[in-house]
Amino acid sequence: QEAAKYDKKVMVLDFVTPTPLGNSWGLGGTCVNVGCIPKKLMHQAALLGQALQDSCKFGWQFTEEVKHNWMTMTESVQNYIGSLNWGYRVALREKKVTYENAYGEFVGPHTVKATNKRGVEKLYTAERFLIATGERPRYLGIPGDKEYCISSDDLFSLPYCPGKTLVVGASYVALECAGFLVGLGLDVTVMVRSILLRGFDQDMANKIGEYMEEHGIKFIREFVPIKVEQIEEGTPGRLKVIAKSTNGNQIIEGEYNTVLIAIGRDSCTRNIGLDKVGVKINEKTGKIPVNDEEQTNVPYIYAVGDILQDKLELTPVAIQAGRLLVQRLYAGATTKCDYVNVPTTVFTPLEYGACGYSEEAAVEKFGEENIEVYHSHFWPLEWTVPSRDNNKCYAKIICNIQDNERVIGFHVLGPNAGEVTQGFAAAIKCGMTKEQLDSTIGIHPVCAEV
Amino acid sequence: MGWEEKQVRGYPEFVQTAQRYHGRPIFALFCGDKDAEGKSWCPDCVTAEPVVRKELHNMPDESVFIYCLVGDRAYWKDPNNEFRKNLKLTGVPTLLKYGTPQKLVEEECFKADLVRMLFTED
Repeated sequence: QEAAKYDKKVMVLDFVTPTPLGNSWGLGGTCVNVGCIPKKLMHQAALLGQALQDSCKFGWQFTEEVKHNWMTMTESVQNYIGSLNWGYRVALREKKVTYENAYGEFVGPHTVKATNKRGVEKLYTAERFLIATGERPRYLGIPGDKEYCISSDDLFSLPYCPGKTLVVGASYVALECAGFLVGLGLDVTVMVRSILLRGFDQDMANKIGEYMEEHGIKFIREFVPIKVEQIEEGTPGRLKVIAKSTNGNQIIEGEYNTVLIAIGRDSCTRNIGLDKVGVKINEKTGKIPVNDEEQTNVPYIYAVGDILQDKLELTPVAIQAGRLLVQRLYAGATTKCDYVNVPTTVFTPLEYGACGYSEEAAVEKFGEENIEVYHSHFWPLEWTVPSRDNNKCYAKIICNIQDNERVIGFHVLGPNAGEVTQGFAAAIKCGMTKEQLDSTIGIHPVCAEV
Repeated sequence: MGWEEKQVRGYPEFVQTAQRYHGRPIFALFCGDKDAEGKSWCPDCVTAEPVVRKELHNMPDESVFIYCLVGDRAYWKDPNNEFRKNLKLTGVPTLLKYGTPQKLVEEECFKADLVRMLFTED
């Protein structure tokens, strides 16, 4: 849409290869269809369940038992997603961007072939190309995985309640899904190969895990599934999972209605003809290395988003990079995308917001003697009356002593972590120091005042 | 078989007609009432109607096109009227594909290619 603003002739090729179970979706990419949007809505559904429970202590009385209906929630979520898909179609049309629901792949210099779902092929040429094909969930590679297991691509439109669920993986996708499923009243187990939330501050990751365990999620640690069998067909059916220990030969078995695989995502860069135009990719990871102007090794081909090597896999980062790229190409701008100090939030039952360095990364970069960590537990006022945990919410900042105690890392674990973190991210970008933070008077009574 | 048109006035008649054709693709155009000379109180509706009618042949076979007059200006301006409350309409003209989130509102209805897109989308 940005390029069309500058009177460029633009075409978008978007195509979703169906999941092993046949699932597909509309225009908008992962975030809109099978990522952030449905995830946050279902997280909200779970939070509302918790709020209903808390409400009794605040004086609300209801006599009927409150139950959750998976189909009602899923229909509402999918309806909203549908309106977003449609909104994008209209927006592209109004801005005169040509849209084709077809699978694009390079076949030669400056040329792509687009194949639609009926197999009809068309060739297109262009002056420049932007690759933003994103990623898809990785499967385990064990017997029964593609036939019987689901991934996040299937979960948000599942036409039946998943029931007793085994989540395989300890990524934020795995923990967020496990979190809202248990919040909706389901029996959930998470099978973890080694650590939780690799790449995130491990101190915070462990606190998240502890909280989830204390709130009904079962963890099976240091095991990996080796086989999935179907005991009974159905919606949901019954599956048997056989798993092996990662240190030793112990084998365990379990029965579940649904197995959700969330062990990571792989870039969609292998089957789009990059070899035909000479674009180098990292053979091991599939990611595309680019310079700081998002250009690949082929000057007329650019890339943004999750497929980039060594860059954060976040929707707003991809959008910002894309917009700035177009402004540099067609509007004479020079601003490059700033990939440092990008705030993020993990929407686990106890939300975690972060911006900047984790404690481990700070120690590694600056040395333990040069950083100072300030931390505090806090008890949200809203949690006091319903007697919810008084020692779980937690905040910490990491400061660089050598640079005026500049705040280089911000971490908060508590309700509305996303909303809290956004403001602090702007402050960190401005180079806020501990002294400036201390001299900012707090808003009372809110969690963020800590 | 092609497509057919049904003309209705008011919310209850609209709902009844939509329910009767459940199972077939249903497109609906909502406009303000017309006076004795056949002119609507809603100027945008006057502009949109011929644009929409020209694209009707693009609707899939078996479609039903419901042309619905919502009422007079005072009824429409009432924030609690049934079209606003139940169908979540925010303006007239509105062209929508019944049972889906796909719709075009006000000036969007003047654009033939958007109307065509609504009629031919999967």
